[in-house]
Amino acid sequence: MAHRFFRDRSQAEEAAQETFLKAFAQLKSFEGRGSMEGWLTRIATNTCLNMLRSAKRRPEVVNADLSDDETEFLETVSSPVGAETLNAEQKVIAVDLAERLLETLSPEDRLALTMIDGEGASVNEVAEVTGWSESKVKVRAFRARKKAREALAKLLR
Amino acid sequence: MIMSARRALAGEDVRAPIRCNMNHITDILDNTPFADLAPGELSTIREHAAICVDCEQAFAAARLSSLLLQERVSQAAQDAASANPFFQTRVMAAWREQQAGSAWSLGRLWNATGALVASMAATTAALAVLMFVAPAPNTSDQQTAALAPYSAESVVLGADRDDNQLTNDQVISAIYDDDDEGK
Repeated sequence: MAHRFFRDRSQAEEAAQETFLKAFAQLKSFEGRGSMEGWLTRIATNTCLNMLRSAKRRPEVVNADLSDDETEFLETVSSPVGAETLNAEQKVIAVDLAERLLETLSPEDRLALTMIDGEGASVNEVAEVTGWSESKVKVRAFRARKKAREALAKLLR
Repeated sequence: MIMSARRALAGEDVRAPIRCNMNHITDILDNTPFADLAPGELSTIREHAAICVDCEQAFAAARLSSLLLQERVSQAAQDAASANPFFQTRVMAAWREQQAGSAWSLGRLWNATGALVASMAATTAALAVLMFVAPAPNTSDQQTAALAPYSAESVVLGADRDDNQLTNDQVISAIYDDDDEGK
């Protein structure tokens, strides 16, 4: 769960540790109505969102920030006959670009986009994990998708 | 095809790229995850993107966004699978430390402020004693003094009082009383 939010391993472990410590402390409040996994996931989500809120958001990615490899990668994958499968080097660049793109979004938008577009989760699943209403999830996902698309469209020009 | 035909009828160069102001393509792209686009939607978008630069760019960006996110998620899954084997030990150590820390912090708080708190309590108790217990004798003394026909001066000096300190009335009454007794 924490790796969804943090690419950096130490940050992900810190978030996971914080989650378990909160869970131990609040174990008495778990009434056993839902699943333990769902309860833990909710705590983890809130912990990660709080950690992201306290972190600084990155400004929009612009062409000047891109390395030659990244520019070449964008040209390759955005062409109509762009590769559907990426080689190892392209995968590293893709993950790095994705992270930089996600860092420009708000933590809530980032969560919605990662879960729905990245993992293929349904709106209902995201609503359960976060405790948000389904309409809020849809709005967050729409907004995040649009921002990401527009940011990438600028890079492709 | 339909758009090309319309442009040809309007006398436009069908091979020149067009720019549309319609949001229908971007709306489709923003409302639905790229991977979930229906074949019909995809063909509509592709057909339009072939003749519209903006929509072609939007389509490419949406496709790229989806690709990047999926790679990011795939990488996250790999990272999660190769979790730190000492993670459980680390969490349990942090938990024990937190538990010990809460008890230790109470002890440290008492050590730091215990002397001050004790001295404040002692001072408060002393003030209470002075206020409620010590003034009681003073009150009775004042009442006694008020009831007694002697001033403080007379009590102190009363034993050594001589006739010089008697008032004229007292002297006269003393003389006449003596005379009356002599008779």
